[in-house]
Amino acid sequence: MPIKYIGKSIDFKGKTLWEILGNLKNFGVGRIIARNMFERYPEPSYIKIMKVETVPNPETNTPDDMRKVRVWCENTFRGRKFPELYEVFATSYKADYKLIPKYEEAEYCKCDNPRVHNKVLPKTTSFPPLLRELIMRDMKARGEVVEEPQLKIIYNVSQQSHYRAAENDESPTEPLQKGFGKAVTSTLQPHQVSNL
Amino acid sequence: MLSRLANTKLTITVEAFSLNYTNLQICRWGRKPRWLPTAKTKMFRVPPRPQIPVEDYEELKRLYNIYRTEIKSLKNYFTEKYSVENVQRFDMEQHEKSFKEDFLKCNAINDEWNQQIKVEREERVAKELEENIEDAKKRLEARNERQLIKLQNADEIVRHEIEASKDFITPEKLDAAIEYALNNPVDYNYAIDLDGNIIEGRETGSRKLEIKQ
Repeated sequence: MPIKYIGKSIDFKGKTLWEILGNLKNFGVGRIIARNMFERYPEPSYIKIMKVETVPNPETNTPDDMRKVRVWCENTFRGRKFPELYEVFATSYKADYKLIPKYEEAEYCKCDNPRVHNKVLPKTTSFPPLLRELIMRDMKARGEVVEEPQLKIIYNVSQQSHYRAAENDESPTEPLQKGFGKAVTSTLQPHQVSNL
Repeated sequence: MLSRLANTKLTITVEAFSLNYTNLQICRWGRKPRWLPTAKTKMFRVPPRPQIPVEDYEELKRLYNIYRTEIKSLKNYFTEKYSVENVQRFDMEQHEKSFKEDFLKCNAINDEWNQQIKVEREERVAKELEENIEDAKKRLEARNERQLIKLQNADEIVRHEIEASKDFITPEKLDAAIEYALNNPVDYNYAIDLDGNIIEGRETGSRKLEIKQ
């Protein structure tokens, strides 16, 4: 009888962290482990195991909690190494890890094309038209000097981000895309809207 | 902004709202009722994962990034604006001060009203007292008058009784009264003939009855 799989397909491919580390000598300290999901990036992402700690039986015995392990490692994400040790615990149950064989380590960790770092993005931008009119009207009503109001832009900044907002008098290296901007390909360019 | 709007031809025609029923699309709840579980035939059906072309994916990601950044910035702007205003509004010292000022103002108005009402009340009480005294006096007079009339009536009755008591048959007068009664018999019998004459008593004379027409 042929096997028929049911349920949704997943993107994960591999084993949980403990499934790999539990079978290795000295719990795999010093070995390189990669996540399959991070292989979509052109730059290499991997972790180097430094310390492994098992966890006591959790109070809530969900299957995911049962599979967890606490690991400290040197984390390299998209070719950039984190300055401090990185703890993997919450994501350790994901069946998405794979062990890199020792003879492949050097090849896997080689980063030929590091990302361009430190984009400087503009600090402020103009308000949407109607809101801008309202703000200017308010200014007029309060008797202030009417000048173009500037909206402070909030960027998502994390340890991995390669951009930052411009400081005080710094000029941005990248312009901010507003509205529809320029499409990634000409076939997707909305002509009529861009003419507005 | 308005000039931009004016440049693009914004024309809304009546045809856009005409009732053309061929344009209507009736939407029915075309599936199982919501409270029923997954149908048996659909239980193990796995919907295929959407295949988005790489170009489209990249474009959508780019657009959403722009959108999210802008919305986040606007949210931040509004939060900051209104939170700052709130802080000013709920400055405790200012609040207390204004509260006290308001209280004093209200108190002054209240005192004024009380003063006004006091004057009015005194006037009213004095007037009411006067009226009450007047009323009491009137009532006293009326009562005295009533009393007087009552006394007079009683006097009248008494006088009448005294007058009447002269004819009362006392034990002393009893014999005389009996004597008088025997000597003066009274006969109340009478008859009426066809002509309307009343014939009184058995032996006494007759008189004509006046017939009321």
